[in-house]
Amino acid sequence: MDLSLQAKWNRTSRTYGLMTWGEEHRFASAKHELFAKMKGRCLMVAAGTGADFRFFPPDLVITALDISPGMIERARGRAADYRGALALQVMDVQELTFPDAFFDTVVTSCTLCSVPDPLRGLRELYRCLKPGGQLLMFEHVRSRVGPIAVLQDLMTLVSRRIGPDMNRDTVSNVLRAGFELDRETNVYVDVVKAIQARRPAS
Amino acid sequence: MNGKMIEEALFAAGDYFGGALLGGITAAVVRGLVGPGTDMVVAMLYGMGIGMVVHLAIGLALTPLLGMFHAMIPGSLIGMYGGMFFGMRDSMQTHASSLHHAIGVGVAFGIVTIASIKLYDCALRSTTTKPTP
Repeated sequence: MDLSLQAKWNRTSRTYGLMTWGEEHRFASAKHELFAKMKGRCLMVAAGTGADFRFFPPDLVITALDISPGMIERARGRAADYRGALALQVMDVQELTFPDAFFDTVVTSCTLCSVPDPLRGLRELYRCLKPGGQLLMFEHVRSRVGPIAVLQDLMTLVSRRIGPDMNRDTVSNVLRAGFELDRETNVYVDVVKAIQARRPAS
Repeated sequence: MNGKMIEEALFAAGDYFGGALLGGITAAVVRGLVGPGTDMVVAMLYGMGIGMVVHLAIGLALTPLLGMFHAMIPGSLIGMYGGMFFGMRDSMQTHASSLHHAIGVGVAFGIVTIASIKLYDCALRSTTTKPTP
């Protein structure tokens, strides 16, 4: 496990709820629409403080993981409020301990921006998904608009010290990891996206 | 007007307020440091740097209320590109413009940038692609 990454997110967990208050309100309907598609045995990567649990359909069996014990601790109350089975675990997405083809749905929410090797993380998710299983991602990515993309590159020099990278090409990484892309929807300009992909059935 | 609409209106007002604040502060700081006779290239670089610093400070302060992306994406455009424009203007004038004038233009630049981003967002919002055959 990447201990420096864990330490960074433990520090960030103290103010995470405050810093994401606006986002949680503004993106609520888009997240609700995306996560409504969850079904079967589910994995949520980077649970954070559990703010997204309220968008999950009831009566699912969900494993929610985060690299930060600090985040997991703050997510416990919201996990207990979920109307279904929701277990929390500390784990690095780059080193998942689940068996192959174990989950029907994998969910990420602003996750791949923080994984040091996103392709490795996505390949792990691919391995743990059943053939035909779905990947639902709410992510921010590098804009395709030059002037905005340049600014994201510059902001990343600062933002990665306290939190996420702002310039990840997550859609390309999803394809490189072997997933088939079903749908890519812009939620805020072309930076915040709802992405639906799946592991090919065969 | 229901609760959701009120919330959206408040967020939109916050976006415009943040853009105006950032544009005004950036213009004021650039106006204070760059004057007629400053080399234009140096002035633009000053402006860019100042805009970036102001954007990070204001953006960080507004992030909890507006959300990181709504604060940072337009904010970076206003700060960095606005700072460059303001620096260029202040270096090229024969007489320094008044501080009030500079701030007014900065506020207007911030508001126009926010409106442009909102229009662009609306145009893209419905775009849904299905790239894999």
